[in-house]
This record gives sequence, C-alpha cells and structure tokens, in this order.
Amino acid sequence: MMDEYTLSEYLNKFQNLTSKHKNSLKIAFLSSFTINGLAETMKVKCDIRQINCITYTGQYNQFNQEILNLKSKLYNFSPNLTFLILDLRSFLGEKFFFPYSYTEKEKKDFIDSKLQEIFDIITFFVNNSNSKLIISNFNSPSYSSYGIASLNTNFGLKDMVLYINKKLKEFILNQNSMLIFDFDGFVSKFGEKNVFNYQNYFFGDIKIDLDYIPYFANELIPFVIAQLGISKKCIVLDLDNTLWGGTVGEDGFDGIKLGPQSPGNTFLEFQKYLKALKNRGIILAINSKNNFNDAIQVIKEHPYMILREEDFACMRINWNDKVSNMSEIAQELNIGIDSIVFFDDDPLNREFMRTALSDVYTVDLPKDSSEYVPILQELAEFSVFEITDEDSKRAQMYVQQRKRKEFETSTPNLDSLLRNLSLELIIKNSNSFTMPRISQLILKTNQFNLTTKRYTAEEITNFTNDDNMIVGCAQVKDKFGDHGITGVFIIKKLNSDEWFIDTFLLSCRIIGREIEQGILYYIINEAKKNGIKIIKSQYIPTEKNTPIENFLPSSGFKKNNDFWEFDLNNQFNMPDFIKTEIE
Amino acid sequence: MSKKLYEIIAKIMRVPLSEINDDSGPKTIPNWTSFNGYVLLHELVNHYKIQFTIDEAMDVETISDIKRHLKNHGVNFDD
Repeated sequence: MMDEYTLSEYLNKFQNLTSKHKNSLKIAFLSSFTINGLAETMKVKCDIRQINCITYTGQYNQFNQEILNLKSKLYNFSPNLTFLILDLRSFLGEKFFFPYSYTEKEKKDFIDSKLQEIFDIITFFVNNSNSKLIISNFNSPSYSSYGIASLNTNFGLKDMVLYINKKLKEFILNQNSMLIFDFDGFVSKFGEKNVFNYQNYFFGDIKIDLDYIPYFANELIPFVIAQLGISKKCIVLDLDNTLWGGTVGEDGFDGIKLGPQSPGNTFLEFQKYLKALKNRGIILAINSKNNFNDAIQVIKEHPYMILREEDFACMRINWNDKVSNMSEIAQELNIGIDSIVFFDDDPLNREFMRTALSDVYTVDLPKDSSEYVPILQELAEFSVFEITDEDSKRAQMYVQQRKRKEFETSTPNLDSLLRNLSLELIIKNSNSFTMPRISQLILKTNQFNLTTKRYTAEEITNFTNDDNMIVGCAQVKDKFGDHGITGVFIIKKLNSDEWFIDTFLLSCRIIGREIEQGILYYIINEAKKNGIKIIKSQYIPTEKNTPIENFLPSSGFKKNNDFWEFDLNNQFNMPDFIKTEIE
Repeated sequence: MSKKLYEIIAKIMRVPLSEINDDSGPKTIPNWTSFNGYVLLHELVNHYKIQFTIDEAMDVETISDIKRHLKNHGVNFDD
C-alpha cells in the first residue's frame, strides 16, 4: 500500500495551515454517515497542491433537509463542488438485512422509488446552486445470509447493488452538473474488511475506517483538479532505468532490461500504461542524458519497446543539463512548465529539477521498478471530467506539429508560410457537442487569453441560453490536419449600440497563425449585422498572458479609460489566407 | 510508559504535555470531543498493537480509564 500519513497526523497538520494560494475551491461534504476528519484531510491535501480548500461538512445524515432548505448553511456556504456520500445500509434500510424476504418486483419498486427521491433532491440542489454535485455509487457487501447460494439466487443483494449503480449511472450521464464518485471502486481497491470496521460502525456510525480516511480523500482529489482545470498535459521521461532497466551506453542494446521476463517486464508494463495515457491525449516527451544514437536505436529497434519515436512529441537526448532541456521542451511544445510531470529514477536529477523548476511536478520514483506502474496509477494530476475528441487526438496533433515545424524551417518567411498552410477557420455555436471543449479551454488556457475569466460549465450553459450573450468557438484546420476546437469567445450584448468581448482565447497550439484576426472579423461582421456601433473589451494582465497583450491595439481598438473600443465605422481586414466557414 | 501515552494524547488533543495527568479527560480538555476521543483510541490501537472492546471504547472518562483498559491488554504502566 502507498505510504500515507495517519488521520491524526492530518488533523495536526490541518491546525498549522496558514498559506494562501492562487487556486481556491469551496467544497461541501454531505453524507449519510459520520465523515469527521475528511474535510481537514482534504484541506491539507489541497494545500500540498497549492490549493486553498474551504470546506463545509453537513450535519450527520441531514443531507435531505439541508438540500431542500434554501436557507440552510449549505446554500449560504455556496460550494463549487459538493460530495454526497451515501451508504447501502442507509439506502436499503431493512432490505439490506433481509433481501431475500421480498420478491424481485418489491425490491425493484423500492429501489426505483428510493432512487427517484435522491434524483429529485440532487436535481433540486444543482438547480438552486452553482455547485457541481458528485454522488457516490454503492459497494456490494461480500456477506450474504445465503452464503454460496446467493449468486444462484435471482436478484439477491449483489444484483440489487448492480441494479442501483446502473440506474444511478444512467441518470447522472444525462445531467450537466452531476458526476459519480466510484465508492464501489474505492472499497474494491482497498478491501471491504479494511475500509469497513464493525467497531467503528457500532461506535459512531463511522463507515470508513479512520485509517482509510486519507486514502478516501485521495480518491476525491481528482475532482478538485478537474474542477480547477489544473490537470497536467505532458509526461517527460528519462530513459535509462526509467523506460528500460540498465544504462544503454554501458550495458548495450542487448544488455538493457526490457521484455517479458522479470525485471524487464516492469518497464514493459510501465510503457504500456504510458502509451494508454498518450492515447487519451497526454503528451509524452523524453529528457535524457545519453548518447543520442544509442538511445534512438533502442527506441526504434528494440523488439520490446512499446513507446516508439512517433509516440514522443519532443525528444531531448543529449548531455545538456536536464533543467535546460526541460525549459526547451516546454517551449517547443508551447505548454507551461506547470503542465509537466517528470519521471526520472535519479534522485539528484529530481532534486535539481525541483530546485530549478519547482512548477514541474517531479514524481518520486522508488528504486524498485515494480512500483513504477502503481505510482503512475496513483497520480491524480491528469484528472479531467471528460475526455473530449480533441484530447484523444492530441498526440497525433503533436506529430503534425512536428511536421509543421519542419515545414516552417524550409519556408523563407512568415507570410509565405501562412499562405501555404491552407488555413481553415470554422466558427461554431456553443451546444452540447462543443460545450465540453469550450469549458475545458476556458478553464485551462493561460497564454493567449484576453481576460482569463474561469467560468464553470454551469455558468457557460447559462450564458449560452441567455439571449443577451453569444458563446462561440472556432475549429482550425490546415494542410497537415485538424487542430480541433482551439478558440473561444463570449460576447455580452450591453445595449443596442454596444457589445462587450468578455472572453477571447486561443489554444497555444495555434498561436501565430493570425487565427485571432479571423475570429475577430467574424465578431465584427456579426456586430455590424445587428446594428452595433462600438465593440468594447479589456485586457486583464496575468503572469502568463503577455502573448495577447497587444492584440486589441494591433487590431484597431482604441483605449478609452479602462476599456478598449473598436468603432464599427472603421474598416477591419480579414487575413486573405484564412478560409472561413460558419456552422 | 505513561510518558508515551501522554505524548500521544497531547498530540491528538493538541494540549501541552504539562497539562495532562491521569485525571484528564473530556471534562478537562476542551478538544476531547467524542470524535477526537475515538481518534485517540484508534491511535492507541495502532501504537500498542491491541484491540479495545466496544465496552472499553465506550468506558473512557479519564486517562486512568484508558490506562486500566490498556493494562487489561498487557500494556504495563509501572513507572
């Protein structure tokens, strides 16, 4: 089991929390049983990740009353995330103990009715708050009074739990602001006999053993990361003793440990899990002190390499220091240093990286390579609420990006480069298909972001449904492939003469192609069609958004007090090398 | 042995070691809530590798009571 502090240690650390961080989140915990200690543990775990976590814990088993009373402390607290953690005993009541004393129909009717009560309550909550709601599913108890006969019995307790979880999932899948926390998965991961302790339960209705509260909190952290949009984008890997065992420069191509036999199988499997992350859109890169020819031969030719050259968006295999290499990788991929997770077996390299680039998330790899896979599995840093089409295509996009760069170096100037790129801009409305990506870009884009306003998915949905607002996005293609949705804008219609650009952003992937001019041209045209005279906007500087600093003045906006204004009597020219389509 | 027990109690209840004696308990230590009391028993279970019965867990009014229960599980406090 992973090393973890005890609950009492978290309670003590909680007393000493003083630091303030730029990321902040309000979390409410509602439960059908005692969850004391969870909020304090979450606060400490968030603090370690430089997140201010403000918490509210509902009264013991009072979630119904708190949700239905709009004047309750819960609404007054106004959470961003609300966890509703239920347990099977409370849900099933007597049917938990006597599941075989009822007919299948009686049990299904009862479950349907109880679930409907919960669905009504949580729907009421999300309709009356700005919080995302995360409800737990249920774990299947191992004990049955029918013993080994239970699985041969129609609709026994295990079937009831499967039925509840299936119905719960079907309902939540169709809801915008609700998600499921896999409590069943948590119990399965740590074991029912560890998580549930009868003495705890009889003593104080504690249904998660105190030793497991910190592990339970670990399972909730991914929701925090996803809600804040601070998930990592890229894994940077060392090679020797990280992707394979041994040192290729000394042990040789045939001497490294990589293959189906132990210990080579630890590296083989580690690479498979990395490849699966790459397939969902996590960028992989290499940062290795090595002879390039030795290393690339392994990557290209070793029969048991899972990760090949085309899986890496960037490779730095040289004798330069790893910190300089890391800065170059971030620059080449056009991602922030704080988007990177670094794996290296050498503690000295890790310490060097932590000291020089503290924003890189440097993973502590143990000496034992059989621990690499579980450590990768425990990382919450890649958590997002949804994997979009753009996410899963990202790895391919970065290969295309590398080809573009090769093309750029062979093209004499920027103008001819852009003219030869065959750029296509497709303007789309916000709808159920584009919303997940719009939300993701709003939460994550830092560099080419005019105002860096972080709106929740619920707020964006409200904007979309508001006649006085326009929420749109832009898909970009060029001759090398489809970049997907990479731009977002939100317009507020102030009055019959003025519009206000509240949000304007582009993914760093497409900066430098004058796509922003194409999107602005569309907004200006739409404004003209609606008889608008002035478009206003503002630039809100942050530590990271200098790339967009001159966008408004260079596009013809004039400063007027705190705002920038574009007079629609003025001409605005669309770059003639961008073909635009409006969907 | 009492010193180690007192240290554990001081850490869980967040009180100076000097304020703890055998008569201390929920009535004298404000942080000694029912939950913290249970966290304490949990910590003692892990530290002394013993298991309290639920009767023992419910029967704690002072540190003397804890010592009495621990003695029943073979923990010696002859210091």
